[in-house]
Amino acid sequence: MFSSVTISLFEGFLGTLKLFSLTLLFSLPLGLVISFGSMNKNIILRGPIRFIIWIVRGTPLMLQLLIIFYGPGIFLGMNVWGSGDSGRFTAALVAFVINYACYFSEIFRGGIQSIPKGQYEAAAVLGLSKSQTFFKIVLLQVIKRIVPPISNEVITLVKDTSLARVIAFYEIIWEGERFIKSAGIIWPLFYTGVFYLIFSGLLTLLFGYIEKKLSFFK
Amino acid sequence: MAILEVNNIKKKFDNTEILKGISFSMEKGQTLSILGSSGSGKTTLLRCLNFLERPDCGTISVNGNLLFDAMQAPYSEAEIREKRVHFGMVFQQFNLFPQYTALENVALAPKLMNKGKTSDTEIDSMCKELLSKMGLSDRMNNYPHQLSGGQQQRVAIARALALKPDILCFDEPTSALDPELTGEVLKVIKELASQHTTMIIVTHEIGFARDVSDEIIFMDEGIIADKGTPAQVIDNPVNERTKQFLSNYSGHS
Ligand SMILES: Nc1ncnc2c1ncn2[C@@H]1O[C@H](COP(=O)(O)OP(=O)(O)OP(=O)(O)O)[C@@H](O)[C@H]1O
Ligand SMILES: [Mg+2]
Repeated sequence: MFSSVTISLFEGFLGTLKLFSLTLLFSLPLGLVISFGSMNKNIILRGPIRFIIWIVRGTPLMLQLLIIFYGPGIFLGMNVWGSGDSGRFTAALVAFVINYACYFSEIFRGGIQSIPKGQYEAAAVLGLSKSQTFFKIVLLQVIKRIVPPISNEVITLVKDTSLARVIAFYEIIWEGERFIKSAGIIWPLFYTGVFYLIFSGLLTLLFGYIEKKLSFFK
Repeated sequence: MAILEVNNIKKKFDNTEILKGISFSMEKGQTLSILGSSGSGKTTLLRCLNFLERPDCGTISVNGNLLFDAMQAPYSEAEIREKRVHFGMVFQQFNLFPQYTALENVALAPKLMNKGKTSDTEIDSMCKELLSKMGLSDRMNNYPHQLSGGQQQRVAIARALALKPDILCFDEPTSALDPELTGEVLKVIKELASQHTTMIIVTHEIGFARDVSDEIIFMDEGIIADKGTPAQVIDNPVNERTKQFLSNYSGHS
């Protein structure tokens, strides 16, 4: 029983992993783009972007999932997500990417703005170009500063994937819950916690390693 | 011919005129010190020379070539980069790059600027030599956070020298240092002066300015209020403002 539960929970966990990794893959670069937009000198660009960040960070992710999944059908009268499981997955992914990109963009912005003006000026008087200054001087310092908050966000994302259940996205908790109905047992649901713990434990180790790698400078 | 000619530089910030027409020139190999009370515009002047600020008015020429003219259209980023390397800048706060060792800090810009003419090893050995001259031969592979303030500032001086600027500017190079560390930095600047490095030094160290300078400029509220040799300006001031300034500082120097 235990091993068959483990195997089927593992199947559910693959759904969790898929949402987790694709969310990261798209939201990290999108977050960088949004952060540049939110720092743009032009208010016409910066204003709306800050407004969207405010909405996304100010409302529950669960609500965003529901609006993104059902919204187009209700307001536009069309099904943009396609049918069945793949449609649910696409909708969930879009909601997660938008949500996490906004959070990441604020982390990037904080990191970029925390670099002292003196670093830019020292690079400038040495004749470095803007892109040389960004890639050779600023980038690694920003990365060092944002690794801890990014690590927090990533570990939160592991657990947030379970929210996608509200639009019936298949992941590990869904799988665990199934045993209540099918076999009348609840421990598989509790057992899902072990999967989260091990995975977030591994991520903690990974980020700890990265932080250590970057500790050669202050 | 003068190595540097500054003519009628003016600079406003938010409608307050901070530099009200600064003109001076200096000869190659000379050391010029700029004194003046806080807020008189000394830093702003150095920043204008290094293209960190754009003057509203005036011209800057180096070796007889017009480098900056406020009447011309804004210079492109590439033009500014080309022009500003005539000047080197040493900041009060050192501004070393924390992720690079002392040697890497010094060698970074020469390597980026080098277009295949010199090998990286040649650049490295040139930079090592500079660091040795700064008394840092045993510190080349240390990161900035492993160095004292005085050592960091000497790395910053080597970094500026590595680009062989025509004129090296210092903005209060010892103001951020503990008193016991200022001596080592002043010593290397004195050595540079004795080797006829062309330098402009903004400083509050009046005794040092007297020892090291060929000429002193005293700035007051955005103008050059007094100018002359150290003997004229510091030892026998005639200008009332200079006298007043020096008497405020007599305790410190
Ligand atoms: N970017 C800026 N924007 C607005 N005002 C500025 C700016 N930079 C300098 N100022 C003002 O210009 C004046 C001169 O400043 P500056 O830093 O050149 O003085 P300073 O002679 O170097 O003084 P200190 O001895 O304190 O370093 C000050 O009143 C300062 O507030
Ligand atoms: Mg100043």
